Amino acid sequence: MLESMDFTAGLSHYLMLSALMFCIGMLGVLIRRNTIVMLMSIELMLNAVNISFVAFGRYQGTDEGNIIVFFVMAIAAAEAAIGLALAVAIFKRFKEINIRFFERLKG
Amino acid sequence: MDATSLTFYFLEALILLSALGVVLVSNPIYSALFLVLSMIGVAGIFVSLEAYFVAVIQLVVYAGAVTVLFVMVIMLFNLEKEKKAFSQGFFSLLLRVGIIGAIWAVVASALKSTFVNLTPEDMPFLDNGGSGVKVLAETLFTQYVFGFEIISVLLVTVIVGAVALARAKGGTHA
Repeated sequence: MLESMDFTAGLSHYLMLSALMFCIGMLGVLIRRNTIVMLMSIELMLNAVNISFVAFGRYQGTDEGNIIVFFVMAIAAAEAAIGLALAVAIFKRFKEINIRFFERLKG
Repeated sequence: MDATSLTFYFLEALILLSALGVVLVSNPIYSALFLVLSMIGVAGIFVSLEAYFVAVIQLVVYAGAVTVLFVMVIMLFNLEKEKKAFSQGFFSLLLRVGIIGAIWAVVASALKSTFVNLTPEDMPFLDNGGSGVKVLAETLFTQYVFGFEIISVLLVTVIVGAVALARAKGGTHA
């Protein structure tokens, strides 16, 4: 256990960085009211997961981690586009992008 | 403590501080700029993990395209001052921060107790020159080609959906 406490950056350091970044992103989603900043926090969370994928893939010596990162990136970009389109729709109606206006959406 | 570890700690500090900046700064345009800084740090982490192509894609897609999209929408909104940047109520704020702290504690203790830390000496040697583009392309277009096609369908759907949502006479208004 003491050997795992050394300061040479290994796999668990990358995973800890990923966990911290994910928690900061979740904090942003929970405490912010601005929809755009919430979307940015979701991007932070997705990037944290990407770090985990690449670190695990590198330490296993396979390419699958990198492949999944491509898929995550494509889905993150799609999510940002849809979220920002919703924010534009909200702003045109209410002149503010507070998250509480999203309950007024209808199809 | 070698140079690789120092680089890692520098990038970690950069990523975490700029991620906190995204969350805690009340002006959205500064949040977007902090997001760019954080994404550049993540690209550096990918380089340190020898995933060079993913690092370049990270810079192009996130630091380039996605953040420009965010900044453009912020400029479109012309928010001179954000009135309620953070959610109200001290107790509810405390509860949310406490929940996140609890989640982080669970993850961190799980990492500490289950993983023996693999050091860079334990890394398998990659004979393809660090996940080269050719190897990635061969894996992506043979083994994962179905997922690739699904992603293309998803992107077309998203383009149509975004245009339909942001149109002048949309159906999303109450």
